[in-house]
Amino acid sequence: MRIGRNILTLILAAACFLAAAPAGRAGEKSSPSLEEIRKQVDGLQHEAALLEEENQGLRSMLEDPDDNEIYLVVDTENNRLTMRRGGEVLLAAKVGTGSRQFVKEETGRNWLFESPTGSLSVLGKERNPVWIRPDWSYVEENMPVPAENDPDRIVRGVLGKYALILGNGYKIHGTKYTELLGTHFTHGCISVGDGDLERLYRSVKIGTKVYIY
Amino acid sequence: MRKNAGYGWLLLLFLLPAQPSLSVAAAAEEGEREKLLEQRKQLAATVEKLRQEQDSLVFLKTMQASDSKYLVLDLRAAKGQLRYKNRTLKDLHILQREGTPARTQKAVVLTKKIEGPRQRYALVFGRSLILQPRGAAPYREDSIPRAVLTKRDFSALYYALEDGAMAYVLL
Repeated sequence: MRIGRNILTLILAAACFLAAAPAGRAGEKSSPSLEEIRKQVDGLQHEAALLEEENQGLRSMLEDPDDNEIYLVVDTENNRLTMRRGGEVLLAAKVGTGSRQFVKEETGRNWLFESPTGSLSVLGKERNPVWIRPDWSYVEENMPVPAENDPDRIVRGVLGKYALILGNGYKIHGTKYTELLGTHFTHGCISVGDGDLERLYRSVKIGTKVYIY
Repeated sequence: MRKNAGYGWLLLLFLLPAQPSLSVAAAAEEGEREKLLEQRKQLAATVEKLRQEQDSLVFLKTMQASDSKYLVLDLRAAKGQLRYKNRTLKDLHILQREGTPARTQKAVVLTKKIEGPRQRYALVFGRSLILQPRGAAPYREDSIPRAVLTKRDFSALYYALEDGAMAYVLL
């Protein structure tokens, strides 16, 4: 009887100790030690700092001194022009772009009336621009093509009050056919309504980028 | 036998006073462990976010040096941009998206431009994404997410992008 009681006492003592000991030790044999977790935290802190530094470098490389400059975008599929600065749209306008028509001369010369695409720049700005009729204009109307310097080629008042020169004979200019804005009706130039044209003329400078797609 | 009983109580007397200090130390250790584990979790999330940001920055850097137009699409925010170098050419509005994405973000390549019968227009970016205009007959392929744009936005993209054009998509 007494032997049993003594054994019981010993078991009770051991049980009391074990019960008071922190729980979960046996089950955590595979979990990392505090030291290991500290190392992992240090490693992650180092990696985060490194990534932040690298990202900052990349962000700086992506910055462009021209980021705050105005630029123009022409969507020839939808006949829309936008004037932008950074992420901001300053002006959205209906425009006319190349008719995509094809004209052929008996001599074999031919023209496709398409607006140019790509990255262009405003090469010049004109007030009261004059249209020098090109050969295709006569061919299109079945008229004889005059000599290159023939004064008959000079036509006033058909390009609106202003023009922005894009090069290769292409311009952003006004039109008499404002009801056609938003469609493909030009010979390749970008036609704009009077109000929008004035705003463009006042906002852009020589060198302003024009992206046409 | 009485001696044995005495040993038992003696053992108890030795062991029990050690318990409070052991418990306090263990609790402190447990507290620190929890704190460190939480810190590790937060740092891991920060690192992942920074990696994703780096991925997109590297993409933008690559495209800045390229002469091609490209897309940046955030399907979660239902918006996107047609871009050229570091310029936005067009803001896009995503009307609808379908399908479960496999990843959160990635660079994809335009592999197919479809102008099929019954206005079945589609821009296919491999097995990653299909873009279509509103009202087009759905071009479905199993497990490929699909996004629907306005007709105007889609037509601009359709003619602006060529096969091989890149897009960075946040799915």
